Amino acid sequence: MGREAYPKQSLGSLYRRIKESRVLLVGAGGIGCELLKNLVLTGFGEIHLVDLDTIDLSNLNRQFLFRHEHIKKPKALVAKGVAGKFNPNVKLEAYHANIKDPMFNIDWFQGFSLVFNALDNLEARRHVNKMCLAADVPLIESGTTGFNGQVQVIKKGRTECYDCNPKETPKTFPVCTIRSTPSQPIHCIVWAKSYLFTEIFGTSEDDAPEFDHSEDSENSEEIEKLRQEAQALKRIRQSIGSPDFARKIFEKIFGEDILRLRSMEDMWKSRRAPEPLDFDKISQQALVIDTSVTQKDQTAWSLPENFVVFSDRYDFLERLRLGELINCSLRRLSARLQDAQAKAANGDVSPVLTFDKDDDDTLEFVAASANLRSIVFGIETKSKFDIKRELPRKELVDGMY
Amino acid sequence: MDDSLEDSPSPPQEPSSKEKKYDRQLRMWGSTGQVALESARVLLIQAGPNAVGIETLKNLVLPGIERYTIVDPSVVTEEDTGVNFFVDGESIGQLKAKVCCQMLQELNPDVDGEYLTEPIESLLRNPSFLLGYSLILVAAPIFSPTLKTIAAYAWEHELPLFYIHSLGFYSYFTVSLPPCFPVIETHPDQSVAAELRLTNPWPELAALAKEVTAGLEEMNDHDHGHVPYVLLLLHYLELWKQDNEGRVPATYREKLEFRKLVEAGARTENAEGGEENYEEAAAAVLKSLNPATLTWSIREIFQATECVELTTDSPIFWFVAAAVKDFERKHHVLPLHGSVPDMKAKTADYIRLQKVYKAKARQDAAEVLANMRVIKGELGCTSEEIYERVVDDFCREAAFVRFFRGQRLPVACGGEDGEFELAGEAVEHEPTSGEGQALEDPESLMPLYITLLAYDVFINSRSRNAPPHSPDSGPTTLLNHAPGHASSTVHTDEQELSRIAHSILFRCTRSGGGDLHNISALTGGMVAQEAIKVITRQYVPADNTVVFDGIRSKVWVFRRTADMFSRP
Ligand SMILES: [Zn+2]
Repeated sequence: MGREAYPKQSLGSLYRRIKESRVLLVGAGGIGCELLKNLVLTGFGEIHLVDLDTIDLSNLNRQFLFRHEHIKKPKALVAKGVAGKFNPNVKLEAYHANIKDPMFNIDWFQGFSLVFNALDNLEARRHVNKMCLAADVPLIESGTTGFNGQVQVIKKGRTECYDCNPKETPKTFPVCTIRSTPSQPIHCIVWAKSYLFTEIFGTSEDDAPEFDHSEDSENSEEIEKLRQEAQALKRIRQSIGSPDFARKIFEKIFGEDILRLRSMEDMWKSRRAPEPLDFDKISQQALVIDTSVTQKDQTAWSLPENFVVFSDRYDFLERLRLGELINCSLRRLSARLQDAQAKAANGDVSPVLTFDKDDDDTLEFVAASANLRSIVFGIETKSKFDIKRELPRKELVDGMY
Repeated sequence: MDDSLEDSPSPPQEPSSKEKKYDRQLRMWGSTGQVALESARVLLIQAGPNAVGIETLKNLVLPGIERYTIVDPSVVTEEDTGVNFFVDGESIGQLKAKVCCQMLQELNPDVDGEYLTEPIESLLRNPSFLLGYSLILVAAPIFSPTLKTIAAYAWEHELPLFYIHSLGFYSYFTVSLPPCFPVIETHPDQSVAAELRLTNPWPELAALAKEVTAGLEEMNDHDHGHVPYVLLLLHYLELWKQDNEGRVPATYREKLEFRKLVEAGARTENAEGGEENYEEAAAAVLKSLNPATLTWSIREIFQATECVELTTDSPIFWFVAAAVKDFERKHHVLPLHGSVPDMKAKTADYIRLQKVYKAKARQDAAEVLANMRVIKGELGCTSEEIYERVVDDFCREAAFVRFFRGQRLPVACGGEDGEFELAGEAVEHEPTSGEGQALEDPESLMPLYITLLAYDVFINSRSRNAPPHSPDSGPTTLLNHAPGHASSTVHTDEQELSRIAHSILFRCTRSGGGDLHNISALTGGMVAQEAIKVITRQYVPADNTVVFDGIRSKVWVFRRTADMFSRP
């Protein structure tokens, strides 16, 4: 008896099924560490553990399998080493990998009697949910935020699945998701409104309400690069109103910054790498687009259409000379900001523009730049109307007094 | 705000490594909570192979208490290795307290750990050693007389005490809080609307409403659709008062009528067919126009003896409570919270509204502070300490400040004949309706709780002089006695309880009286969470007993009173 005394007595003959089971645990974070310990101690026969992350200082207050000396090492491998010692009868297998990797196919999932989700993001949860349904393996899904937690048992044909209930899109996003690795239209919309718009026309706002900084400390190098990137954009802002302002902005945010991101090869191992946009090429395509395109607000604009809404066309100076109305949002907003600056009395705080989704100039700027970014990252684009619906009504300004 | 490069503010200070390590939890209880945690000294008293105490401690060491002490005279057995994560095959035969202490230490180098292998009974010959701790955890099994001694001492010296028992698929714990335990930062649910004082606006707010809503009918559509709803409501309330002898809508019917008045003001001949600010105003009518009534929690505080009979030695909490009470008596409202919900508005208007609320909140807090000076003066307090922070915190959430009347931990004991008996006042009483209901309610875990208590009693009565825990507990004896114990103490249908108790005890005895790691881990998590609330004095602690049924996956919290289950 010994080690197995209590579970054996409590579970009776069922205990054998635990010993003979082969289970998969996805995630070795806060829940994952605790769960792995409990599975090992209860005596599950074979445990496979998958996690993509490496250990960070900010994990140590709860992910108790990790110590200071493990920082920067893969979570899955360290967790296996530490937890495995506590029950020699358990077979542990660890993968430092993304659960969405094709090597974890349906056949592989079918090899388990039970899957545990201990993940921190919607996308991976949905993926494992789908795989478990396809492989017909029961899934125990779990998550926490703050002092709340939830557990859901999912079994094909018996219970609802993770996606049966639509999940509320989170209102905040990690900085890196918005600035470096967007994967959904909303990420690009938030980027356009809370980063691009505020950096060019507003008060540079590190604390936009959509930004969740809780993972900053885990990505400090990338955060520092993003800070430099924002500084560089701010320098371009000083040339507002100059004829090549639009080109400078465009080439910075859809060219240079994207090339920098592309060079971070680790980031794109399991994601599609972003493709930079070429200003000259697109402005050629845009020559045929009429500026009345902004009225077309129920269908998603094409790449050149978005370009026209966002930026000056190639023949901008020519048209200006002909007295034609220049209708791109960047120029309209630049003019408004310069106008406000000219009116401001000397010594006053320099005026800024604030985003308001009922203000067409600001809405069109955000819609077009969000869509251009979506194109860069291979994400679906949205109509002006849909983007308006996704945007929060107004900025929260609590704490300003 | 100027954001030109020349004047850009210096980059924020790089967070310290400690801030990084504790980043997540600092979001929950802030730096004041962390400071409290980092000066907490926790004592764990345990014996026998049971993981729940160590699991609790693990969850307190990780977030960084100051120090822990493990009292455990036992040595590691093979059974331990199956339930306790912090011992392995190599540690069999070694002192368990020592092994666990070292392992826990490795989890967080910021925390000091020590262990004592003397039995708790002999340590209690000098019970003042308990005074070195800010919180005591006792994990069953333990001798009832020993637990009684600890309970009495902890109660007398106002030390929070947790008694925890994890058994097979079940567990429960009881918290003994000090006689008076106030919590200012209860972190109320954000969905609870902050009081906006719409029915009794102060002059600055009324003036702002008047100014912004001036010429409302003639405004262009954009302006009309951007008047903040708070100011719209104030405007329509003025109109209402003119037709209703100066009264605000009070009854449900009046509020519905008032809502119609508001809705009628909205412009509908636009693309959206309505106005968002008007929709917000109409939606707020029923919940934001209630006359200021005191919450039961603050009423309880105002009526407490400690608040009514202040002395120079009263804790600061009661001085602030008394000062808030004076404020309320004068103004018939609690100090203003000061925050304004998000709403459709032009940014400039919204900021002005925020300013008016914030300024009033500051003014109210200043008045409370002044009240406190007066009270202190009247009592002849010489200390000049005023604790503005406490006043600010109290005023911010005054409606949600709580205080708890703790009680001495009730201890179930076995009498000479194995009868069931409770320490403390054996008051004769009829079962309260609450107890009766709890027993009849199939959703309550009362039968489980009683059975677990009976188990405690049985184990204790069976072996007075031997350690109360040994694997050969005679299941038959237990099954024959415990339901009788249980039913006799709660004056209920013995047969029904017997049936329930039988199945529960079958499982308990089948587990050999031992715990399961996963149940102990879960219970340890819950206990640690409650301990953190007690240590940081934030959030609302469980008052006072939590029962867990791992078979039905249910948690049940109830307040166990001292005379509950006493024999008639
Ligand atoms: Zn489904």
